[in-house]
Amino acid sequence: MMKLLSQRLLGPVTLVLLALTFWLGLWVTPPDKVQGNLARLLYVHPAVAWVALYLSFGTATIASALYLWKRSRSVVMDRVAHCAMEVSLVFIILTLITGSIWGRPAWGVWWAWDARLTSTAILGVFAVGYLALRRANDDFELQARRSAVVAILAAINVPIIHFSVQWWKTLHQGASVFTPGGNFKVHGIMLTTLFISLAAFTLLFFWLLRERYRVEVLREERQRVSLDEALAQRRREGVH
Amino acid sequence: MPSAEITLDLTPVDAPPSKRRGRWRTIGVLVVLALAVLALLSQGLLHSLNYFETIPQAMGSRAKLGTETIRLEGVVKRHSISRTSSGASFEMTGGGKAVFVNAHGSPPQLFQANIPVVVVGHFTNSTSDSFYGTQILVKHTASYIAAHPKRVKAPNGTVR
Repeated sequence: MMKLLSQRLLGPVTLVLLALTFWLGLWVTPPDKVQGNLARLLYVHPAVAWVALYLSFGTATIASALYLWKRSRSVVMDRVAHCAMEVSLVFIILTLITGSIWGRPAWGVWWAWDARLTSTAILGVFAVGYLALRRANDDFELQARRSAVVAILAAINVPIIHFSVQWWKTLHQGASVFTPGGNFKVHGIMLTTLFISLAAFTLLFFWLLRERYRVEVLREERQRVSLDEALAQRRREGVH
Repeated sequence: MPSAEITLDLTPVDAPPSKRRGRWRTIGVLVVLALAVLALLSQGLLHSLNYFETIPQAMGSRAKLGTETIRLEGVVKRHSISRTSSGASFEMTGGGKAVFVNAHGSPPQLFQANIPVVVVGHFTNSTSDSFYGTQILVKHTASYIAAHPKRVKAPNGTVR
């Protein structure tokens, strides 16, 4: 009952929270002292990056580890890893696009080869590599195992991205929320809106993952049915 | 006797992909992946893991740097900005030291006094405190504060 309710409510609640984020972000929150209205990207870019780097890439990595763990070879875990990686790639691209849109007027350039931006781009390349690897081999077992290994290796890059602004001197700003000292550098309703945006995009991730998973199950089902039909057809031809 | 309506499809079909072909495709993907990662690493991280030099660092190695192009970071000193026909000139401070910057090209939208900037350019000579900039990048801080925090909304909806 609870599961059914949460499944039914996931989509509408996500849409409501996203609408609330955009209403607060565009009309209610004040402009920033230095950045003015540019700071409104604060309610999109960090949330998109949160989904790209931590939620979806993290889900893909954990599912990949569970697939390999003690040779469980769970098809469900492989499917979750695959679907989460697709969502991650979309959100990594969105992170880079929204970052560029912010960077051009704020920094003065669309792109800078600093540690944060470069390591994020590398993660995107790993995500593309993961998905390409899945298509490179027709042997299911082999493609699942190899892509799981790539996902786990690529995940080493996630803490590098996170700490890059502390370890090296970057053009990208340091942390505003998850700071080393644990204090928030975003004030008042701007912080509230930022947290609402994080919640909205988190739910959006789970919604997208669930739908993508369902499509994947249907695709596999259809593939199996077509194979069964083809075999049955051959058998019928043989009988005649 | 077989029915005349039944026709067997005898057109040749492709053989299922061999393991060897799958292995080559996998190797190809891994090679392209490795090359792409190496290209990004060499472009970004290996050449400039630290995106800029601070003023004390640059001043400390000024003789060695000569007129080599670097990225120099500092804070724009208050009341020092003057717009020139080709760009802007200003004083930049950091770590108790100051550098005079003469930059060409239009500065970014957020360029203003008291803001951290990274200037791409070079010292005019190996002993000078004067820096010739070809590009100004604004390095905004991680703090977000309302522009007018004490503004209140009047009952009629206007902001005062």
